[in-house]
This record gives sequence, C-alpha cells and structure tokens, in this order.
Amino acid sequence: MKNKINTYLIEYAINSLLRQKYKNIFILIVFTFLTSLLTSIFFISNSIKYELNTTLKSLPQITVQKLKAGRHHSINTQVVDHIINIAGVEDAIPRVWGYYYFENAGVNFSIVGIDEFENQYKDSLNKIIKENDFSKAEENSSMIVGTGVKKILDENYYSEYFNFIRPDGTFKKVDIAGTFKSNLQLESNDIILLPKEIALDIFDMEEDMATDIIVKVSNPEEIFTIASKIKLMYPDTRVITNKELEISYQNIFDYKGGIFLALFIISIFTFFIIIYDKVSGLSSEEKKEIGILKAIGWKVEDVLKEKFYESFIISFIAYTFGVLISFTFVYIFQAPLLRNIFTGYSELKTSFELPFVFDFNTLFLVFFLSVPIYIAATIIPSWKSATIETDKVIR
Amino acid sequence: MMIELKNLTKVFEVNKNNKTTALKDLNLNIKEGELLVIKGASGSGKSTVLSLIASLSKPTNGEVIVDKKRVSKLPDNFASLYRREHIGFIFQKYNLIPTLSVKENILLPLIPQNPNEIEAQKLLEKVMKKFKIEHKKDNIVKNLSGGEQQRVAIARSQVNDPKIIIADEPTANLDKELSLHFIEILRELKKTKKTIIIATHDPLFFELDFVDRIIELSNGELIR
Repeated sequence: MKNKINTYLIEYAINSLLRQKYKNIFILIVFTFLTSLLTSIFFISNSIKYELNTTLKSLPQITVQKLKAGRHHSINTQVVDHIINIAGVEDAIPRVWGYYYFENAGVNFSIVGIDEFENQYKDSLNKIIKENDFSKAEENSSMIVGTGVKKILDENYYSEYFNFIRPDGTFKKVDIAGTFKSNLQLESNDIILLPKEIALDIFDMEEDMATDIIVKVSNPEEIFTIASKIKLMYPDTRVITNKELEISYQNIFDYKGGIFLALFIISIFTFFIIIYDKVSGLSSEEKKEIGILKAIGWKVEDVLKEKFYESFIISFIAYTFGVLISFTFVYIFQAPLLRNIFTGYSELKTSFELPFVFDFNTLFLVFFLSVPIYIAATIIPSWKSATIETDKVIR
Repeated sequence: MMIELKNLTKVFEVNKNNKTTALKDLNLNIKEGELLVIKGASGSGKSTVLSLIASLSKPTNGEVIVDKKRVSKLPDNFASLYRREHIGFIFQKYNLIPTLSVKENILLPLIPQNPNEIEAQKLLEKVMKKFKIEHKKDNIVKNLSGGEQQRVAIARSQVNDPKIIIADEPTANLDKELSLHFIEILRELKKTKKTIIIATHDPLFFELDFVDRIIELSNGELIR
C-alpha cells in the first residue's frame, strides 16, 4: 500500500504554493535577489582576497626610499654597494619605476624599468621577462605592456607605439613589442615594462639614480634588524619592511571590505524582515487549513512535512537561481557597479578581471544563511498552529 | 463501534476570570451501528460532545471510551491517527479547502497514508459516485453550491471508510430540498451499520423512522 516517498504530500505542497502564486513569486524574486547579492559579495570578496594574498606574498622584504623635504626622491645607486655589505643581506636591487598619467584615458600606468641582466626584485617579473623575450625589446628600445594597458592604448589608437611626454614637454616614442598577462590581475593590467635607460629618460632621471632600492634578506627573522641598520646608515631614507606594506594593503582592503560588510548587513537585514513577517504572519486561512488537515486525520508531522516541502522548494529554487545569477554577474559580467568598490588599489582605472575562486565554504555559508532559516521560519508558525487544540482552530 | 462517555465535563476558559461550562458531568452510551440524534438549542453543548468524541478537544474531566479504548487523553498524534482510522466528521460549515478541486479535497484524508495511485483512484471514484459528485470532480470547491459542497464534505468523510460518522448541524446551511436529500444519504449510511451521531436542532431529524435514539442537551446537561 505504501510508497517510500509521499508524492501526494509533495504534490500538495506544490499546489499549495501555486494557490498563492503571486505572493510566492514575489517571495521567490526577493529571496533570489538577496541570495544573489549576498553570494556576489562573497564571490567578489574571495577573488579580491585571493589577489591580495598573492600580492602580499610578492612584496619586497625591505624597500629603501630617499627622502628630500619629506617627500620621496630619487636615490643614488651607489647606496646599493653599501647595503649589500651588511651581514645577512642577500641582494640589493635598484628599481626604476613610477606612474605615468595618460590623460586621454584618465588612467595611471605603472612604468617599470628593466635591466635584463639584473636580478628582478620579484619572481613574477623574472617570469614575464623570460616568457616574453625581453632581450628583443631591449635591443629595439621598445616596451612590453600588460593586457589592460594594451586595451587602453588600442582604444586610443596607439596599437603599435606610444608617445610618452617627458617632464620637459618633449616626446619619447616607444614601440610596443608585446603584451603579457600575469597571474596577478592587479599587477598585469597597469604595468609597462621597458628598458631601464628608457624609463630613466621618460622620468628625466640621472643614469646613476633609481626610484628606490629593494633589499632581499636571507633570514626573514632578520628583516627588522637589517632595516634598522640601513636606517642608521642613511638617516635621510625611509626604510619600509614588507610587514608595514602588508598593513597598509590590509587597511585598504579592510576599508573596502567595510563597504561590502554594509551591503552584507543590508541584505541580511532585508532577509530577516521577510523571515520576521513569515514567523508572525500566518494568516487565518493558513491557520484554518492546518486545523482542517488535523481534523481529518493529519498528524502534526504530516503538516510539518508538507510545510517543509513548501519552504524547501521555494528557498532552494531561490538559492540555486541566486548562486547562478551571482556566478554570471561576478565571473562572466565582471560584477558591474559592485566591483568598482574594490578595484584600483592606487586609483587605477585599467581593466581588471576578477579571478574565478571556487570556495565551497561560501556556497555552504550562503545556503546556511538562507535555506534552513527560511524553512525554520515557515515551519515554526505552522508547528505553533498545528499544536493548538484542533477544535479551537477550526471553530 | 461502541462509544461510552463517562462523567464528561468541558470547561472553556475565556480568560482567567471568565470560564464557561459547556458540558456538565455527561454520561452516555452509544451502541455500535446506532444512529443517535443530539438535539438542543445553540450553546447547549451539542458540538462540544461531537468534538470530544472525535478527539478534536480534550475534556476537562471525565472520559471518552471508544471500543474499550480511552480516546479522551490521547496524545495529539494518536488523536490524529484515531480520527483518520475511525472518524468521518461532517462539519456544519463543511470545512473544505476552498481553493482545491473536489477530488483534491476528497483525497486529503488519504494523503498521509501515501496510498498507491490505483488504490487511491478507486476509493475516490467510489465515494464520488456514491455521493453523486463525480461530474464536478475537477471543479474548484469554492465555485460549488452549498448542497454540492456538503456532498464533497460527506464524500471526504467517507473516503477512509470510518466506523463512526459524526455530523454537526448538517442541514443548517441547506434549503429544505437539499436537507431532504441529505436525509436520503443518511438513510443509505445507516444501512452500512456504522455508528452515526448527529447534532442538530432541525426538526426534520426528529421524526425519522431510521433514527434509533434522540437525546436533548440543555446548558451542557442531558435533560432527555
């Protein structure tokens, strides 16, 4: 006589939802929107965190900057020879880099001067140089650019070369030898790599000068000690450790994270308004229906099972749609509007792709915050009605 | 099924200082297959007796014993099971789910048992035919006339083939013609040897030849 799954009960639950279709469609739409907003926040946050962590790992251990009138100034490369003699220092690399504002597009590019035969200050640069055959760029005095830079240059009709404007107002034409795409989205999109002498030329810097000096230390435990020694040797410099940089990056992220937290709280708050309405708002018709079902022989558990199916169907559909919408929104459409909150650590406007980061915990967390809570909010008032003396409910 | 009511008392608490005694120390035996009519004015306690027999509410004092089993203090789930297996209740206001179709309403008592489809269909066809409602099976109940709605309510009460049929003011919302039709249905049900209890103040029931016994309640007490 008995089947294992009570299809009649599921059918009844579906019919029950359809009987109040406008109300339930409204709940489904709001629920889906909130789930997708919540999931999008988590997806974007995860992608940015992934980027941030990768960036933090590649930060130089010690950066030495010359200060003049309290401002960052070019540093003489002779300092390198003295720093490298400090015990525990593995390498000291002078960097030539800076920002170049491209007015037509309203963006800043990061220009990095490269000497192919020098050790680069981070592995990702070494990799880019190797993979893109930088020697050719060096021979032809040309540059290789990140994909984001290339896109912007193309949009502004600079597909083969670019005219840099020196500080004295003269032009420096540099050909584009190629493009690169690193794992770090934030890095690849705004960077231009060109031979060190061209970078010096564009920035109007002397040949024996550098923007700053990166110091590599053999034992990470000694970073602070070595930084102190450099500071003693050169009191006119600012010596920044990777720990300090980490904190400033983290501060930017936390600030942006705070905005997302606000959005998160708003969506959770709205969701709980729905839940509150559900818990307190069992209509007299719904109460009477439960009473009738009890009067004709339904047990409390039968009523609750039916209500479970009802709420599971609606919340699971909303959850699935919500996740799919946010997946499409974040990873396919690159989260328009929302991503602007996060992109551009240095106010760059170059294109930035959110990397796909699959995190099962996120999906579980959103599921836990939505489906079981909605089910509970449906079942609790039904349980209250179902346990009242049947006669009282139907009279 | 034999029903015994022993010293049955029901007090409704409106609030802490306001209590209404609906039934006072009622003693009554109903034999198996008996058709009992309970008459009395509104508020005399007729519906309360039916509600207690169907275990829809619990007595303040006393006992309801059905086939030697005490049903008056059954836990909620057992009370539901008892109603499902033994009671067919025809409510005064039918208590149908207005937005469901005729067949969906009739099938409701079977749903928790999860019957196989063929068996459920057979039971459905049988009761719909018996109470002449099969031509309206797909109609939404709220669009039916009062008489049709009552036939759906009767069909629903019979789909589980219960041994006890309880009807609360079954003709209160019907015109005379439909009331007479209900009495014909009742005559047919009586032939099935089921125990039938009807609470009514409709004089139509007091002269029926197939009624076994008529009792009268007043202010919660048996007066005749």
